[in-house]
Amino acid sequence: MVKPGIRRVLASALAVTAWYGLSTMPRAQPAGAAAPAPAAAREAVAPATVVRSPRNANYSIDASLDPRTRTISGRGVITWRNVTSHDASELRLHLYWNAFKNTRSTFLQERLRAASPADRRALLTRPLDDFGHTTISAVRLVGAGAAPPVDLTSGVHAIQPDDGNADDETLVRVPLPAPVGPGQTVNVEVEWTARVPRTFARTGVVGNYYFVGQWFPKVAVLGERGWISHQFHASTEFFSDFGVYDVRLRVPSGWVVGATGLAQPPRENGDGTTTHRFLQEDVHDFAWTTSPDYVVREERFEHAGLPPVDMRLLLQPEHASQADRYFAATGAALRYYGEWFGAYPYGHITVIDPAWQSGTGGMEYPTLFTGGTRWLSPRTTSQPEGVTIHEAGHQFWYGMVATNEFEHAWMDEGFNSFSTSRALDELMPVRFHSERFFGGFLPWVIDDITQPRATDGNGWPRYRRDAKSDIPSTPSWRYWPGTSASITYSKTALWLHTLERMLGWQTLQRVLSTYFERYAFHHPSPEQFFAVANEVSGQDLTWFFDEVVGSADVFDYGVDRLTSARRTVRGIVDRDGKKVAVGAEPLGDVYETQVVARRYGEAIFPVDLLVRFEDGSEQRVRWDGRDRWRLFTFERQAQAISAEVDPDRVLLLDTNFTNNSRTLAPQGRAAATKWSLRWMVWLQDLLLTYGFFA
Amino acid sequence: MITRLSPIAAYREGLRRVTGAPWMWLGAWLATLLVAVPAAMVVREMIADHLGASLVAERVAAGVDVDWWQEFRAQASGLGATFVPAIVGGAAVLKNLSDLADNARMETAAAGLVAVWLLVWSFFAGGVLDRYARGRAMRAAEFFAACGTHAGRLLRLGALAFLAYYVLFAHVYGWLFGQGLYATWTRDTTVERRAFVAHLLFQVVFFALVALVNLLVDYARVRLVVEDRRSAVFALVSAARFVRRHATGTVALYLLNTAGFLVLATLYAFAAPGAGRTGWTLWITALVGQAYVAARLGVKLGFYASQVAYFQGALAHAGYAAAALPEWPESPAVEAARGEPDPTPPSPS
Repeated sequence: MVKPGIRRVLASALAVTAWYGLSTMPRAQPAGAAAPAPAAAREAVAPATVVRSPRNANYSIDASLDPRTRTISGRGVITWRNVTSHDASELRLHLYWNAFKNTRSTFLQERLRAASPADRRALLTRPLDDFGHTTISAVRLVGAGAAPPVDLTSGVHAIQPDDGNADDETLVRVPLPAPVGPGQTVNVEVEWTARVPRTFARTGVVGNYYFVGQWFPKVAVLGERGWISHQFHASTEFFSDFGVYDVRLRVPSGWVVGATGLAQPPRENGDGTTTHRFLQEDVHDFAWTTSPDYVVREERFEHAGLPPVDMRLLLQPEHASQADRYFAATGAALRYYGEWFGAYPYGHITVIDPAWQSGTGGMEYPTLFTGGTRWLSPRTTSQPEGVTIHEAGHQFWYGMVATNEFEHAWMDEGFNSFSTSRALDELMPVRFHSERFFGGFLPWVIDDITQPRATDGNGWPRYRRDAKSDIPSTPSWRYWPGTSASITYSKTALWLHTLERMLGWQTLQRVLSTYFERYAFHHPSPEQFFAVANEVSGQDLTWFFDEVVGSADVFDYGVDRLTSARRTVRGIVDRDGKKVAVGAEPLGDVYETQVVARRYGEAIFPVDLLVRFEDGSEQRVRWDGRDRWRLFTFERQAQAISAEVDPDRVLLLDTNFTNNSRTLAPQGRAAATKWSLRWMVWLQDLLLTYGFFA
Repeated sequence: MITRLSPIAAYREGLRRVTGAPWMWLGAWLATLLVAVPAAMVVREMIADHLGASLVAERVAAGVDVDWWQEFRAQASGLGATFVPAIVGGAAVLKNLSDLADNARMETAAAGLVAVWLLVWSFFAGGVLDRYARGRAMRAAEFFAACGTHAGRLLRLGALAFLAYYVLFAHVYGWLFGQGLYATWTRDTTVERRAFVAHLLFQVVFFALVALVNLLVDYARVRLVVEDRRSAVFALVSAARFVRRHATGTVALYLLNTAGFLVLATLYAFAAPGAGRTGWTLWITALVGQAYVAARLGVKLGFYASQVAYFQGALAHAGYAAAALPEWPESPAVEAARGEPDPTPPSPS
């Protein structure tokens, strides 16, 4: 017997399922070709014009938030279709919030392992009230028609395929009474309750601000080689199948709600709560936020050649003056990513300005993301622009291309970091370094220091520090948690920018747009990207990808020696048939310049060597960069003044730029004098500041 | 004889005494150089070594090369680790104040230099206060003799002050900030502005306590020198008595001096030269920096001089100093040449 509430959820799920023809419709087939939908669904769901994804993991959810107890009670029906060529005898569900259940979870154990002593202390002394969890109360297999549901609850149990940590409950197995064959669909009803944690991993609550992500039991991805299901790890994010989401959220009346998808008219329940409904097709996750304090702003993104997008911004009141900055940055991402890679197809996007100290800033979900700014944020700095472009940009790589973030996190975060810095440069060509003082509340812009895209934007300092920490091709969840971002974000962004300088932007842009067009909504693998890069560039770049993705070796080229002097000879020479002793005798009016270039790192990359001469002339030679060192000799009428390897700075992964050049007129002392005098004033001020005590 | 001074009059009198003793001021500035120049030379060598004969040096000389800076910082240790972007322009002043206010951990090498400076300044403080108390010119020998006379007492006072500051910064700060009251109060605050106000209030409370200790130590120092006291403990007790009896005046004078410092720091923060270049502009920039340092020293000396003036005025003993003018002790040989008796008893043969 199905309860009336469950019946409503089920009916809704089935309606959505039927509407989109989940089990039969090929990709990109017009919705009109699908099986006829029940009338109820037709009323609620706007017809989709294009089916973009396989839509094999669909959710119809009713959830209720009780802010007094910080509890979410949920009931949903997962309509899952087996898109592989083999049977599935079980389902696997992610219960991500169990990562925040206690310090024995794999996520927190990994966090603790990599934390500094202070962070470790902070983690271990978090108030008990901070922890959260998800508890499944019922799982039922529901069939079509009047067939009674099959209770699967007793078979649900946690599994730990990655590390065998029996205390980790972030992944559960649900054995099925009968296998689901290829192309077959099952409807599984899940009831659960969840305690909302004080923010861990950018999901949770602070005060009356809720940002709720990874909050519902979510089916894992079944691949041809079995379940691609991992526990929740400290160094990676998520991976799921595409589907249709129909979610009804019950929250206190008067609270603003923002969520993945298109908002439907809210319904007052008459008990002080309101139900907000959101619908979205072709996405692989659903997140939401609610707070009574949000200020709502709306603006439309329009740009020639791109579909319009309604931008809805949920702002903290103290950031109301920064609404234009959020819109400009979101618009920049939609525009430049749209022009470079492919259009944003959803027509709407929700931008969340997170509450102070919520720890939820900088997080992406389909059609919704969190930015982040401060009460005082000078306009010449890139907050909130940088994080806004980055998270809006995730809509493309994470949202649509949707690579496996468990195993290849670099394919999303790295691609997006590269794209972010490029788009940010278009929006804000000049950005200044700023420092924050007095508890971090007061910003101070140092307008002598700009933030270059190539290095600062791509995270070069972070990469340099951790260059050898992990091989990118290692499954990302196995990266060392303390340094994973340096590899995932920074190394990838740097090698993509290196590729841009090697191939030219036009070629790289075609590589990326082809990759996007070909694999959006298809979960591509690294090999598929590499193949596109080779195909579009017309070059075999395997050697490059082997170096940058398949290895942790570092690049470091340099000029070891530079000499340039008139050619002379000293010793015994043959002259007029006689042996003659000469002492440092000039051999014509020629300068002999010798440059020793070195490869200090293990990784290999072809580089140019540029030698400049006193008469203004230059000579550029190519070095394959393979040997440990190479001598270059030049004979000219003019003396050399400098030599530089990789003068155009193509190889942005070079971990030491300072040793790339040598000059015969060094300025090091003058520079050092300038800076040491500046430093001395700081030191004197330091002495006088602490002289306060004497 | 002068009548009791108001805080403003004492402040003015302090400024008059500071400007009336330019050599003292100059000496204090030279003392900062004494500590800072060797350290700057070390940093200069570090930078020069790292730049080597690279072309990068040209960019570093002409302005800022942020990539080089990051490379340098990644390998720097000791004093080199303090060579950070915040040393540029007005950020330098804010960074130091902010680090103090936030009780930030100091780089060990820099902490060593600060410790040296506090010792050097503690030694000179006796001479400085003595000079301002007497209100007349002193020869170098007299000045150093005064420094020597008061050094031990001031160091003992400094040790007591260190204990008080230690309690404040190592414990009271933690109770207020860190995981303390501030964190508890703002735990569920989602509005940064509110947190900022709370932070500010807590800092006002904390620094009121610090300033109270500072005020007591200041007047204990003044009493040690002006009244030629030996006991640091009794000097502190009598300073507390004095501050209690003249609470309004001492606090007002303290605030006036603090305001003077804040005005100067704010002016410099906005007017400070940026990264600059090499060549003659380098030296102009250096001069501006040193002018600021000198002005800051003037503020520090102004604190001393005005507090001395206020104390003396309050006791209606302007220019009073209990001790005789100290003389730099000559060597026994010089005394013998002058025919003065050797004070040491003859040793048994």
